[in-house]
Amino acid sequence: MKKLSELEKDAVGVISAVNGDPRFISRITSIGLTPGCTVTVIKNEKNRPLLVYSRDTMIALNRDECGLIEVEGGKKA
Amino acid sequence: MTDKNETVIALLGQPNSGKSTLFNALTGMRQHVGNWPGKTVEKKEGHFSRNGKEYLVADLPGTYSLSANSDEEMITRDYIASGKADVVCILADSSQLERSLYMLADYAGITVPCFLVLNMSDVAAEQGKTVNTKEMEKKLGIPVVSFSAPDTKAYGNFYVALERAVSTKSVLKADALEKRFGELEEYVKIRDMISDNVIPGYSKVWLAAKAVEGDAPVIAKIRASLSDADKKNFDAALSKVDKGVVKTGERKFAWIDELLAGSVKSKNSKVTLGKFDRLITHHIWGKPVVILTVVLGLVASFIPALPLMGVGQLIAKIPDPLNEALLGIGCPAFLAAILCDVILRSVSFIVQMLGFVFGVTLVFGLLEEIGVMARISYVFDNTMARFGLQGKSVMPFLISFGCTMGGAAGTRVIDNWGQKVLTIALAWAVPCGAAWAVIPMLSTVFFGAWMPVIILVILLVMVLHMWLTAKVFGRSLVKTEDRCGMIMELPPYHKPKWGALFRYVFGRTKETFLRALKVVLIVAFAFWLLSYTSSGDITGSILYKIGHFIEPVTKIFGMKWQTFMAFIASSLGKEGALGVLSTIFTGSGTISVGSVVGGATAANINEILVTNIPKPEALALIFAMTFNMPCIVALAATYQETHSVKWTVRIALYYTGVALLLAGIAYYVGLLIW
Repeated sequence: MKKLSELEKDAVGVISAVNGDPRFISRITSIGLTPGCTVTVIKNEKNRPLLVYSRDTMIALNRDECGLIEVEGGKKA
Repeated sequence: MTDKNETVIALLGQPNSGKSTLFNALTGMRQHVGNWPGKTVEKKEGHFSRNGKEYLVADLPGTYSLSANSDEEMITRDYIASGKADVVCILADSSQLERSLYMLADYAGITVPCFLVLNMSDVAAEQGKTVNTKEMEKKLGIPVVSFSAPDTKAYGNFYVALERAVSTKSVLKADALEKRFGELEEYVKIRDMISDNVIPGYSKVWLAAKAVEGDAPVIAKIRASLSDADKKNFDAALSKVDKGVVKTGERKFAWIDELLAGSVKSKNSKVTLGKFDRLITHHIWGKPVVILTVVLGLVASFIPALPLMGVGQLIAKIPDPLNEALLGIGCPAFLAAILCDVILRSVSFIVQMLGFVFGVTLVFGLLEEIGVMARISYVFDNTMARFGLQGKSVMPFLISFGCTMGGAAGTRVIDNWGQKVLTIALAWAVPCGAAWAVIPMLSTVFFGAWMPVIILVILLVMVLHMWLTAKVFGRSLVKTEDRCGMIMELPPYHKPKWGALFRYVFGRTKETFLRALKVVLIVAFAFWLLSYTSSGDITGSILYKIGHFIEPVTKIFGMKWQTFMAFIASSLGKEGALGVLSTIFTGSGTISVGSVVGGATAANINEILVTNIPKPEALALIFAMTFNMPCIVALAATYQETHSVKWTVRIALYYTGVALLLAGIAYYVGLLIW
């Protein structure tokens, strides 16, 4: 189990849990990041938002909040 | 149906789903923009006719789902429940189908007729995706149409789907999703307690799912419909739910996957970032590249702007000869003055600025349509979040260094009304082109080599001013609970729809012209009345009398009546302040709107200023002018973009007050130095 923000560039993981307050969960669900969905990390650099690809979509995510998303796997593709 | 017998279509879709492009393409210049009653959310309606039938299109606020987390979502839900819409047009982005169908999944269970538009089919085709709409129609029970805004043929299919949805009153099938919800024990318990018609248009399936998601307004409605005994059971069932949104969300996406399996074919290609995207996501080059993009956009705005600016300057040439001609044929002087000095000069002033508004709306509207704006937003989101704003707000700020009116026009791409108003309020603090024409010159005249220091201090004060203004207005405009870290999608680039874009730009420019003209004429006329004297001597005017009377007060802020007059004039147009000072100190001519908006100054203006104004007072004037209201046209544009008299007046008064305060501080600092 890892946090999404700990994944390196090009790593592929499967979301296992989403934490945080209901507002955050509702917003992150509506953009398609739900448990069981596959995410590919496109870019992960310090002090910059994370770029991930999931459900046909390129998504930019705030670093802090990526800590609330747990993933399984996370090996480089 | 409206009482005018129009069929009502409500557009529902996530931000970036191409909703506004479709809205503009359908309604063209027949649009009306206002605010939802009592809410800080923009309301857009438009009309079109087709085959002899009249339609009203309501552009519902762009939201990501139908939860109850924001005013936008509540307005959307209430509108659907109100029964005003005959049919809801749900938009999804074909190039990001899986994610963008979430809105459709969240709509399932609502019994208001609807149809689905799969937008951006051209982009999807480029990605190698093909969608079998017939297959989807079978599963969903509603018309499904593939659509791309730049493709004129696609509109025919759109209208056919619309007419089919209206005539068959097609309701979205929810049984497959309901079956999946049925796997959740808490869902089943809650659903069985709900009676019919708790909220019109919303079925038990939808209500129960929302209750599981912890939706407060839905829970309250259901609770109110239950007997006391059932209330207890209902509360007990609710208390067992943990992370309901995640559970229903998983099922909604499973339903979407099932829907797409067999309907969508795609060549699976590896995702990579394009050249521009690699540049802007670079940790060093990102921000410079975005700033360069906006600056280039600004320069490009001048190309379509120049012809209009030329027309404005031509109009400015009319008043002087016309005035003489009118006086020559015996027209009363005050009538000639109203026509020439008030009306013609105001029109000239507005037309010149309008060129800029036209250019900015076109260029930045284009950047929005092709997907560049989302990238700008991405790069500056973290910085702007500190002000409670979106990354897009950086663009109006940069434009405001050129023209505040252009900056205000540039806020059109910000989809949240509160953030839009806050962006405009902050953009006012950015010294515009006119200030840059006057302030360095004044600084040099009075302080010589210290000019760069003064400019630097002005820039520092600007940042501080913006930070403070964000604190002052931020709380009521952008609620703290609405502020969250960035979660946004970067849409693929797509081709613009030129026809719709131009119609939209012309419509908006026309609207801005009419509103600005109204505001500017009123203010210019009032100013003219106050400054009018029959003798030509300024001391005979009401303005002089007021200025003289309140001089004891303005002196607190370091300004004698002459400089205070210049300050007042600078709120109409900054270039005019010099003309006013010139007029007062040389004692020649009247202060008119003409002299205020780009009037003549005496040849030896520098000498006149230095001999008449002591240094501390000059410093006070410089700060008062820089941070004053930018100009009347900016005021008019602010009203035009915010649709709120209350906020326009509030911002104007705030800026006048802060400008005086800054002048006072500058004055006392000046007294200490000199």
